[in-house]
Amino acid sequence: MSRPSPLSLRTVAALVTLATAAAVVSCTVAPTVTIATGKQIYGQKCADCHGVRGEGVENKYKEALVGDWSLPRLVRYIEKNMPDDHPGTLAPRESEAVAAYVFESFYSPAAQARLHPARVELAHLTNAQYAATIADLIRAVGPPTAAESMTSDAPPGLTAAYFSVAQRGRFDAAKIAHRGTDAGVDFVFPENGELRARLTLPPLDRPATPNSREPAGFSAQWRGTVIPEETGDHEFVIRTPNSLRVWINAEPDLRSGVEPTLDINVSTPKNPDHRVTLRLLGGRAYPIAIDWWALPEKTGSPAVPAISLRWKPPHGSERPIPSRNLSPGKAAPTFVVSTRFPADDSSQGYERSSSVSKAWDEATTNAAFEVANHVVKHLDRLAGTRPNDPARTQKLAAFAEKFVGAAFRRPLTPEETQRNITTLMHTAPDVETGVRRVVLLALKSPHFLYTEIPAHESETTRTATRLAFYLWDSAPDAELARAAKEGRLRTREEVFTQAARLLTDQRARAKVREFFQHWLQLRYLEDLGKDTKLFPDFTPDIIDDLRASVGVFVDDVVWSERSDFRDLLRGDYLFANDRLATFYGLPAPVGVATSGEFARVTAPAGQRSGVLTHPYLLAALSYKATSSPIHRGVFLTRSIVGRALKPPPQAQTFDETSFDHGMTMREKVTKLTRSENCQGCHAVINPLGFSLEHFDAVGRYRTDDAGRPIDAASDYGDEDHGTVRLSGPRDVAEFAITSERANHAFIEALFQHLVKQTPRAYGTDTVAQLRNSFIASGYNVRTLIADIATLAALHGTAPTPLAAHSTRHSP
Amino acid sequence: MTPLLRREFLRQAGLSAAVLPFISGLPSLALAAPARPRQRLIVVFSPNGTIPPAFWPDQVGRDFQLKEILSPLAPYRDRMLTLHGLSNKVRGDGDGHMRGMSCLLTGIELLPGNIMGGSGVPAGWASGISIDQEIKNYFQSRDLTRTRFGSLEFGVGVQDRADPWTRMSYAGSGQPVAPISDPYQMHEKLYGQMKDRESLRSVLDPLKADLAKVRSLISAEDRRTLEQHEALVRQLEREITQSPTQTLRVTPPDLERGVADQNDNVPRLSRMQIDLLVNSFVNDMARVATLQYTKSVGGARMNWLDITDGHHGLSHEPDTDEAAQKKLIKINTWFAGEVRYLADKLAATPEPGADGSMLDHTLIVWTNELGKGNSHTLDNIPFVLLGGGFGFEMGRALKFDKVPHNRLHLALAHGAGHRLESFGKTELCSGGLLPLT
Repeated sequence: MSRPSPLSLRTVAALVTLATAAAVVSCTVAPTVTIATGKQIYGQKCADCHGVRGEGVENKYKEALVGDWSLPRLVRYIEKNMPDDHPGTLAPRESEAVAAYVFESFYSPAAQARLHPARVELAHLTNAQYAATIADLIRAVGPPTAAESMTSDAPPGLTAAYFSVAQRGRFDAAKIAHRGTDAGVDFVFPENGELRARLTLPPLDRPATPNSREPAGFSAQWRGTVIPEETGDHEFVIRTPNSLRVWINAEPDLRSGVEPTLDINVSTPKNPDHRVTLRLLGGRAYPIAIDWWALPEKTGSPAVPAISLRWKPPHGSERPIPSRNLSPGKAAPTFVVSTRFPADDSSQGYERSSSVSKAWDEATTNAAFEVANHVVKHLDRLAGTRPNDPARTQKLAAFAEKFVGAAFRRPLTPEETQRNITTLMHTAPDVETGVRRVVLLALKSPHFLYTEIPAHESETTRTATRLAFYLWDSAPDAELARAAKEGRLRTREEVFTQAARLLTDQRARAKVREFFQHWLQLRYLEDLGKDTKLFPDFTPDIIDDLRASVGVFVDDVVWSERSDFRDLLRGDYLFANDRLATFYGLPAPVGVATSGEFARVTAPAGQRSGVLTHPYLLAALSYKATSSPIHRGVFLTRSIVGRALKPPPQAQTFDETSFDHGMTMREKVTKLTRSENCQGCHAVINPLGFSLEHFDAVGRYRTDDAGRPIDAASDYGDEDHGTVRLSGPRDVAEFAITSERANHAFIEALFQHLVKQTPRAYGTDTVAQLRNSFIASGYNVRTLIADIATLAALHGTAPTPLAAHSTRHSP
Repeated sequence: MTPLLRREFLRQAGLSAAVLPFISGLPSLALAAPARPRQRLIVVFSPNGTIPPAFWPDQVGRDFQLKEILSPLAPYRDRMLTLHGLSNKVRGDGDGHMRGMSCLLTGIELLPGNIMGGSGVPAGWASGISIDQEIKNYFQSRDLTRTRFGSLEFGVGVQDRADPWTRMSYAGSGQPVAPISDPYQMHEKLYGQMKDRESLRSVLDPLKADLAKVRSLISAEDRRTLEQHEALVRQLEREITQSPTQTLRVTPPDLERGVADQNDNVPRLSRMQIDLLVNSFVNDMARVATLQYTKSVGGARMNWLDITDGHHGLSHEPDTDEAAQKKLIKINTWFAGEVRYLADKLAATPEPGADGSMLDHTLIVWTNELGKGNSHTLDNIPFVLLGGGFGFEMGRALKFDKVPHNRLHLALAHGAGHRLESFGKTELCSGGLLPLT
């Protein structure tokens, strides 16, 4: 992650401009004559520095005059501070006129919306969409896979079978010594150890049955699935001095010609770590199979048999794979494209893809080759044929057509069939090369790469495609395609029903999880390293646990029956394993077998308030040794109360040594930001940040700072609500729950993440409408998600108003 | 498996025999006259020991007669060295075959491990780099001798398993280098990019048609994005068709289609691999190669020689079993024939940009993991050197007295310009490089 995080900068900024994106502010329209006067004055006294249309002037004031202050506040500010070279020289009426002109012409969100009307833009697949679409495409065009069993109520872990002999590549069912489910694979098997006795495993150097000719040693097999939380490179590390074969995201069948992911026939006791890095898509289950043999070693100093299944996920340290990421279920392999694409455009606050570049075009070429190579390598299996099948050519041609139809997400026109399939197949030197070229063209084609192309598909097919991309980042499945074909996607009820169904799929979970990572800025909050003298127990293990704990908390809230947004902000509990409970002084988790599992524990009364006080965020938003009300305040301002801050024009280093000894953090920040210049923004940031002063640099609850009791209370001045007394995080949560602006910001961010377009393009009151139904549903997050997807999927097709949700169940 | 039919490919590409599009990642293929003569090394391995009386010349020096097994190499008698009396003196863990194989090119002990052989104690991988990889690294470290791959590891009938009996090349301690036994896979490695380029070229016209169609369907505001996209596709087209073309000296070899990696196909696989090997050398993709026939303890059944017994089983038969001896001589003579084919191809190819043939600049080292199959001796390991380029005085039969084979490796390194003090186990290098010049 090379993107610098504004929050990780160890500087304190004096923030001058405060703005929210697209929050609709009610305003008083000034009389036309005032505006005309204002325009005149602006042209004489303001345009030199701010530009004729407020666009900014390089080397003078380059920021555009765009923001969300109310008109009265703008008037006050101008009266007091403008013009910059002669502040206070404007008469009150002149200030009013200038403010009115600026406000009406370009400053206000309404003016901006008028000047830049939003529309649904042509967009190509985002990187996440590309990977998910390819994974599902390869699965869709192949033969049906064996039923996947993912019983969520089964205990986590992998099924295990231990054998009392060690025969390379063979496991004799008659020699099973023990069978069960292992929560993880992280074992040492010393001679005469308890584990060996419990599993009834024989000694290494002689056969289980004396005098028999059976090979000595013992062996084991583990089977199941591994479920990564995030998309990215996962480095698997298998630590064993013994022999093993491991298949990850591959069929564990040597006869099928699938190479093991790791094939360690020869033991290497001195170098027992075997590593392989696999790119995996978050939220999906991948098959994992381990065959392991403890064979006799050199006499004298044999290595103690042991095996540890470990990984290093994209944001974490190397550790045994936690049980929550393992399941004894079955899954078919997933093709994950490994070609790297240039990062999606995040300049609008969400990942979108409305521009093309040379690097992107090259990546689409490379990825198309990667997929084509995969398809051709597995062509007979995918197309359900054999090398000597007399009907092979016909079957491959049929496969090619199936592939292109699936890639275009619609039936092909006769012209397309001719151009994109028939001609290519006929001109290729052999049928494999023909298929290769068909795949290549399909994946380079705009019909595959863009999601919003009006083509010849039916309206319901388009609705289905949109819905699937909004909720899965992928193409429709067979059931959704069928609903489209049968015309069952015309009404809101029909679409909402499908949206609710799609939401039960793990792909939706993955996409929603990504949203919350984005909303909570987890991608940028990674540096949790602390002063090891002050916090010696704050280990990388704790940090990994904390990161997992945030995810478990959000998942728990969103996918619970209530799916209540308010629980996210004000829940008085968090999820902990024993390690976290001990470190944070929380009640011991109940029913947790391993450190990889988390249970809900309730914090002492009044201490915690949902994600606002999750120790991961608190620790990430702190200095190495102390809390940081400014970082925390900026986070709350942006993510929770929904105001966007512009980057500070001037920066100040927070220098601990510049303050008098014995000052509290609150006093230091107050002193540092006391100037009028800073207060423009810090009047908002500081009260929010101070509300979290009960938490130290690692997020532990505390009662005093610098020897004095914590004062977490302040008055927060809000444009819409006047002054609000905030005595702690719970008050911030309650404020955010009721604040229209905060709700809008949340809904807008969720909309953008799902749809990859701005909600304004779907109507100026889209967000307000969604908020009404959100509140009516009891702040049900899943209902909101389904509502957003339904609304956007039907855009331009069914102009009926958003139905009330009182009669509808949560998806 | 998707073999590429070269002629069809070329016809599709509309290319004349030798001009092919530039392949990114390749160093210059122009093959101008080198500043100093190229040097290349090929190590050929065949398993299970030889039949000494039918292999080693009786004479010493220039005036020697080739015995039956080496008779296919008669045309190259004056460009050969037979080195009798070299011993693999590496001891330690592992049985004779394992050490024979994994210490053959490394000259150093095996690591502890759990591979239990027919005798001795279990062992693991070799604990050091092999001489082919050492020389490859040396070549790759210098601008003048660096090539795209540096080295290529070919296999013929090597089973798909990894243990000290199947690996002779090592990139370092515990890092075996797996040979590629599938010629189609090797072809893909060498020439895959070129095939990609041609496939890409073939879809550009319909792709442009797709884009134009879409452009007509979308709004004016969105058209700009699509026009940019179209411009990128045109740029791609220019890169493919107009980029500076470079010359591959030779085009990829014709590969027979659909030859499965199976026992009975070994003769065909052998020729395909040799064709690819020589081809890759002509195109200067590598300067070092290994060509490994089956593996130590390899049990190929040479039905094509009317021998239905497995090679390894036969090699255990006593000297008194005349039928077995005859078969083994036949088998080893067949291997010599494959070396002959390799030498012929090199001899028939002019050295690019220099005088003479490629064989004059390429040294073939044909070896084996055992001196003799039924005794499992690591003494008198077969070493036949053929070709040139390393400055050795060829055309001789030499006899040494149980000299550690590490000293030959030293001589090879020095011959390549890489002046090592020792290689493999230091104690086995005393006396320095074997005097072959």
